[in-house]
Amino acid sequence: MMQDTQPAVQTSGLSKVYKSGKLGKVAVDSLDLCVNCGEVFGFLGPNGAGKTSTIKMLLGFIRPTCGESYLLGRTASDPDSRRDIGYLPEQPYFHKFMTPREVVSTHAALAGVARRVRKSHVDEIIEMVGLTELARRPVSKMSKGQVQRVGIAQALVGDPKLLILDEPASGLDPIGRYQMRDLILKQRAAGRTVFLSSHLLSEIETVCDRVAVLSHGKLVAIGAPGEIKRDDEHLAVTTGAISLEVEARLVGVDAGLRILEGETVITIAPHLIYDLIDILRQFDLPIVSVIPERESLEQAFLRLAA
Amino acid sequence: MNRVMILARLTMMENARKQVFHVVTLLTLTVVCASTLLSVFTLGVQVKILKDLCMTSILFCGGVLAVALASTAIPSETESRTCYPILARSVRRSEFVLGKYLGTLGTIYLGLLFIAGAFTVLLLSRQAFDVAMIVATGYVFLEVAVVAAIAVALSTCTTPAVAAMVSFLLYVAGMVKMAYFEPMIDGVHNPAAKALVVGFYHLLPNLESFNFKDALVHNVAVPAGYLAQVAIYGVCYASLVIVLASSVFARKEL
Repeated sequence: MMQDTQPAVQTSGLSKVYKSGKLGKVAVDSLDLCVNCGEVFGFLGPNGAGKTSTIKMLLGFIRPTCGESYLLGRTASDPDSRRDIGYLPEQPYFHKFMTPREVVSTHAALAGVARRVRKSHVDEIIEMVGLTELARRPVSKMSKGQVQRVGIAQALVGDPKLLILDEPASGLDPIGRYQMRDLILKQRAAGRTVFLSSHLLSEIETVCDRVAVLSHGKLVAIGAPGEIKRDDEHLAVTTGAISLEVEARLVGVDAGLRILEGETVITIAPHLIYDLIDILRQFDLPIVSVIPERESLEQAFLRLAA
Repeated sequence: MNRVMILARLTMMENARKQVFHVVTLLTLTVVCASTLLSVFTLGVQVKILKDLCMTSILFCGGVLAVALASTAIPSETESRTCYPILARSVRRSEFVLGKYLGTLGTIYLGLLFIAGAFTVLLLSRQAFDVAMIVATGYVFLEVAVVAAIAVALSTCTTPAVAAMVSFLLYVAGMVKMAYFEPMIDGVHNPAAKALVVGFYHLLPNLESFNFKDALVHNVAVPAGYLAQVAIYGVCYASLVIVLASSVFARKEL
């Protein structure tokens, strides 16, 4: 579907400072991003990191304090840049009296879907998100997860080239999450770009080609999930409770310590394992287990966001 | 324009479900229908009172609905965040404002048409129907368009409650502009205060000019040129206010 050479999303020095006191509050600080066409891009960060502010600037809801942003090659301040975009807001809200069919049909009309194909297009999308049986039920009588599906459905109308999904799995049950993951992968297979903001790191790790981590408005890491995570494998050695003297010796060999009730988990580089064994033997401490560990995306996220 | 009409239709669907719309319309309809009880007067007086009462009711209903519905049309969308998926499409802020405005007007006109219909039936039943009634009602519609535009504009830069209150005050002030503000200008001698009052006087819509109730009641012919002048004034005033509202809303952070 996508033959475009220009990035789907591009920001350059994008910043947002909210008026708050004398200095203001920096929500996004000189953000440089480039999301290629056809990739699933994860946008991570703790609450208040500036993810939603970035998305709002991309969609023209708020104006950047400085910097530029482009959607599919057009400047984001131009409403026409949103012609080929589907957006799912975090906690989508719709007029409560409307049915999913009415919501999707209205958005199809707004997206410029021709009247003669609109009905079949709406039917197809409603079926795709599993709302066929609920298509005529008012939104006010639907659960949070079902409303989320309505939100996903409206984002898919008009075959957008770029999907901006803000917490798409929010409110969905495990089956819904699985279906959402499947849907995102199908969008990628169809050549669409997916810009995915989520807190569910396992989901991000599974579906994203690349991720960006935002902390305090700054971009702290960007790359494939494998690149974000630390390459170095280490060993987690579990032993019994340790004294202060042992602790001092372990710190001396560059070991990390997690002191739990009655036991201690020592993380250490593989080449230092024999030094560790010597220390444990010296103090007559048992080795309960030795587990090789690699940093998960969650651990990388916690490290980067700290 | 297609997007504007979609938004207008959506707004009408939303407004038609609001309690204030039902209550005010039904109340006015009741007053219009209850005016048939004016049988104590002779036919000529009865018709005059009927016209007076019905036109006042339509005017009141239009004004109240314009203030109540227009001042909440846009804030209800921004507060409930229902505007996000809409504005994330290639919908311009100006299209959004125009769609909300036209939808609100459509809803008010729907209610007023019911009332005007009942009024027409009453006049027909007394063989007192006058084409001037249609003209007078048409100008009420125009007045409503001006008041609704002001309420929409105010709602883009303040809270719905403040927008409703201020637009109602402006509605009342606009109704009595000629009678009260003109003498007031003559009474102010301080140049700065005078400039302020004159400025306010000119910015304030002259809603009294849309009121042809007295001409209708007393069968006074209104020159076509004056009618055209008032119509142009109303359309221009409402259009300018909506342009201003669009400009303010375009700068608003959502």
